[in-house]
Amino acid sequence: MFKRAIGFVLIMSFGLLFSCKDKVGSEDERADFNKGAMLENVSTNIIIPSLVQFETQVSALKSSFDLFKSDPTNANLEEIKMNWESSYLTWQTLKIFDFGPIRNIGFKSATGTYPVDVSKIESNISSGSFNLAAATNFDAVGLNALDYLLYNSNALLELQSDVSYLDYTDEVIRKIYNETQTVVNAWSSYETIFNASIGTSSTSAFSEFVNEYNRDYELAKTAKIGIPIGKANLGLSNPEYVEARYSGISFELLIESIKALKATYNGNGLINGSNGLGFSDYLLNLERTDLDNTINDKFDNVLNDAEGFSMTLEEAINNPAMESQLDELYLNLQQQVVNIKTDMTAAFGVLITYQDNDGD
Amino acid sequence: MTVIDGLNKRFKADFFKQTAIAPLIMFRIVFGAMLLFSSLRQIMKGWVETQYIEPQFFFGFLGFEWVKPLPGNLMYIPFIIMAISALFIMLGLFYRLSAFLFFICFTYIELIDKSNYLNHYYFISLMSFLMMLLPAHRDFSIDAKLFPSIRRKETATWHIGILKFQLAAVYIFAGLSKLSADWLFEAQPLKTWLQAHHTLPYVGSILQEEITAYFFSWMGCIYDLLIVFFLMYKRTRPIAYIGVIVFHVLTWLLFPIGVFPWVMIFSTTIFFGVNFHQHILNGLKRVFKWTENIPETIKNSSVPSSIIKFGIIIYITIQILIPIRFLAYPGDLFWNEEGYRFSWRVMLMHKEGLATFYVTDKESGRTIEVNNTDYLTVRQEDQMMTQPDMILQFAKMLKKEFEGRTFSNAEQSITLHDPAVHAEVFVSLNGRTSQLFIDRKHDLTALPYNLKHRDWIEPFKK
Repeated sequence: MFKRAIGFVLIMSFGLLFSCKDKVGSEDERADFNKGAMLENVSTNIIIPSLVQFETQVSALKSSFDLFKSDPTNANLEEIKMNWESSYLTWQTLKIFDFGPIRNIGFKSATGTYPVDVSKIESNISSGSFNLAAATNFDAVGLNALDYLLYNSNALLELQSDVSYLDYTDEVIRKIYNETQTVVNAWSSYETIFNASIGTSSTSAFSEFVNEYNRDYELAKTAKIGIPIGKANLGLSNPEYVEARYSGISFELLIESIKALKATYNGNGLINGSNGLGFSDYLLNLERTDLDNTINDKFDNVLNDAEGFSMTLEEAINNPAMESQLDELYLNLQQQVVNIKTDMTAAFGVLITYQDNDGD
Repeated sequence: MTVIDGLNKRFKADFFKQTAIAPLIMFRIVFGAMLLFSSLRQIMKGWVETQYIEPQFFFGFLGFEWVKPLPGNLMYIPFIIMAISALFIMLGLFYRLSAFLFFICFTYIELIDKSNYLNHYYFISLMSFLMMLLPAHRDFSIDAKLFPSIRRKETATWHIGILKFQLAAVYIFAGLSKLSADWLFEAQPLKTWLQAHHTLPYVGSILQEEITAYFFSWMGCIYDLLIVFFLMYKRTRPIAYIGVIVFHVLTWLLFPIGVFPWVMIFSTTIFFGVNFHQHILNGLKRVFKWTENIPETIKNSSVPSSIIKFGIIIYITIQILIPIRFLAYPGDLFWNEEGYRFSWRVMLMHKEGLATFYVTDKESGRTIEVNNTDYLTVRQEDQMMTQPDMILQFAKMLKKEFEGRTFSNAEQSITLHDPAVHAEVFVSLNGRTSQLFIDRKHDLTALPYNLKHRDWIEPFKK
């Protein structure tokens, strides 16, 4: 009798253990995801390494330019170009995070605006009086101004012979350098605020991150490809709107930008090779595996398309035979928007405006 | 004849019977204070700028598209008038004029742009309309000090009853609208909204449990349906009012619904008994050393007038018909949003959309993809992308915007004449994967903007 009772209790406990296991298991899974942990991963493994790498590369850019000033040879110009290009590639990750210290000083517009206004740059150079910090000069500074200043067909000659041209280039580099320092310093104190800002209001770091992530994706879609191929211009192409037109690295930048967006989505650090929590993990936690797969597949489609060009974007635009390939790239870029901006945001319950809302 | 006579008598007895004016006076003070707070809050938050000065385009309401914002900073004027008149309502100074001005300014502002539409703004519009018609200044007001002859101790029952009716309509229709499959059986949109709070200390892990979303959904529905009845009976009133406070404070903590919770917490005091209001009013009178220097003999001259009678009947009928007008439309209400507004559907769905507009040159078939934010604010775009009437309005606005514009590159140049506007819109409703909402095949500029059913909306697939 007693034994049977013990047996019964054992079986019951065993049964309970099993019946609970599912539940405990699923609860563990849920508890695994935490927006705070995701933000921490993003700042520790993505934002800060990119900032540090960008700072190193921009410092190298500045030093190589200083070297060129004392020894203006083509070889030294090539060195500058190399540093410029590596900085520009790292920038593709950094530009996603247009909030906190980056937004506070308008770093994204000051560094990444394109196309630049060549005539404005030229008139700044010839007049010699300019305020590069002014908002009106956003399209005369930054990495794309350097694209023109370092890569146009007369660049070497101008840099060797025209002091104003040399000085202007110097100022543009210094501006990027100084602002990078400011952002790096500010991020070290902003990091804790960022990691802890996990609320649902539109001003929480989490919401800002989601919104800026989407904005950056759409900007990549529209500005890198859409506008140059004429999507805003009745299909009449605008090669003068191509990013990094003079160096011709537009496709490299697009690919790097999509890779950065994909890595960030998955919570992976491109620089340190880490693999942590990202939007992907949040979606999985919300049992939206289907959406997560769709998003990753679409990123791969875009990357495949973008890697399929063996020429510069400007050459592709000017070649009628490439039109359908460009359209396909754009279509894939466009089709991702609904996945990340509509479905992902809807699943997270993120608000995009700060005004009162009664949910209708 | 006798039946009508009987009804008439009944009506007269119920609606025009005299009752203590204290609840109405107290409501005036509380409501005025809330309006003052809400007006100042809007100004302080910078919303005059972001919602009425910055936008280039406004989504007018059908039939009210002629209502336009004042140019530039002049737009602050109605807000300032509103704040001042709210203060005057509270004090009972030039009460009727103040209530009228408040109603006009507030309603004017709300009519400018439907992307700012909120149920509680509509509620304030209606309440201020009613207040303008009620003699809520006939005691403990500056008016009563200045013009002692207006003083009354009593007022007609309908003066208080109509306010109770309005509140009851809000709650009961809000409750009825929650009797939907998504709300009750999917616990959506609460499941989405509550899990987003999973990082809150202590309660975070509870909020991301599915069962919590179901509990909140069902409790919210039961609360909305029944709270008015529990507030009406003296016995259940104290516990019901605690319920009101808990419910609205919770919604205030969890959702960005602004002043609405406070409006409801304070407005529902109208259901309290005469003694309660009399007690508070007497207390206030003592604090402000109010002297009852008027003979107690002043008789209320309010005669049952048939104009008022019909007015009340018409108002109540309209208020009941508007929220159920959706029954006249086929299709899914949440998806099509035909008959959705002005119906007390609060916090009922989570919709996210993506709308891409294409302006097409009919001759060459060439197309422009529009960047919505070139013309709309973030909030306007967000609202527009899920609401068919706004999608249509925006398309028509784009046609005007692009008419006659020339597009060119180094090789050629095309000027648009009578362009077509198409839109491809995807919408996600209550956590579902997004689906096609508007097909790109429709030239929206050719579609009528009216109250008829919009058969160009893609049907909703569960």
